[in-house]
Amino acid sequence: MTMAEALRDPIEPPPGAGTAIPKLSVRNLVKVRRSSAGSITTAVDRVSFDVHRGEFVCLLGPSGCGKTTILNILAGLDRPDEGTALLDGRAIAGPGPDRAVLFQEPALFPWLSVAGNVELALRLVGVPAEERRRRARGWLEAVGLGRHADEQPHELSAGMRQRAALARALATDPDVLLCDEPFGALDAQARELLQDELQRMWVQGEGAKTFVFVTHNVREAALLADRVLVMSAAPGRLVEEQRIFAPRPRRLDDPLVSRVVSDIHELLMSEVGKGAAS
Amino acid sequence: MAEERTSDAPTPDVTDPAGTAEPAPADVDAALAALTPEEREVLAKVADIVRRIRFGTVVLVIQDGKVVQIEMAEKFRLR
Repeated sequence: MTMAEALRDPIEPPPGAGTAIPKLSVRNLVKVRRSSAGSITTAVDRVSFDVHRGEFVCLLGPSGCGKTTILNILAGLDRPDEGTALLDGRAIAGPGPDRAVLFQEPALFPWLSVAGNVELALRLVGVPAEERRRRARGWLEAVGLGRHADEQPHELSAGMRQRAALARALATDPDVLLCDEPFGALDAQARELLQDELQRMWVQGEGAKTFVFVTHNVREAALLADRVLVMSAAPGRLVEEQRIFAPRPRRLDDPLVSRVVSDIHELLMSEVGKGAAS
Repeated sequence: MAEERTSDAPTPDVTDPAGTAEPAPADVDAALAALTPEEREVLAKVADIVRRIRFGTVVLVIQDGKVVQIEMAEKFRLR
């Protein structure tokens, strides 16, 4: 590495930041929940943020802060009560093939093989049969499941099932990946492997995809994100933004990552304390 | 005979032998003059970052005595 490369400006704008319209934009978003007993609580309270093309943004906050609600609105699975959610400057009316969603549970069809699950996603967006097979195999290879393509989901470990779900999400080449704690149910080792995998794929894809990644895991957020948006305990509001300028792949023991983790952790503990006190 | 001064820098502060006060400008000038071009480049980058951010962290990654990377995190309070 030359000195000039090493000392490249760390405050480079994200790849799509120069374009006029953000990939995703949320303005004064409010979402109210009505319980079966009739009580009304504000889940998301006037949240506004933009996500630029090619950015990796983590939404981080304690349980019940409304981060999943925001993700569901971006996915088109839910609607805001007030405010707007825009994709490429247009109001989000429903789900679309331009946005893939990765849930905590991999949600694979149990009667289809691993490859069959990926191929189904490709079929739904109109990819011809031969290319479906080729692309499904390619993505399963990319996530390290090449040898398990013909197995049924129940024959795989939890981590492998989530890899299959990741392959399915990426196979259709969506512009946006919306991830709702996708590694939350995995054991520590499987989670770390998948975090590394995701970083590797991010590097290979040169940040072409836009990610919104919901997590309550501070270390995961600091490891993966260009920007971490920290939310308060319910009612969910944005309280802090951390912009992280460090090359990938990052490691949890990188000094900057550790520093950001302890900073956010301190803030979150005070937020959780406020929630418990109220 | 009039005192000969080659620069405007004040003489070192003899009231602070422990060096606990701000270093005298003469020392800073001397230190800056002794910098290699590579060191100047690093410090210019760091100064630029410090000027641009209000809250945050800057990390210099050093390998084999050379700064090979500058990383940073910037924090914004949103409420």
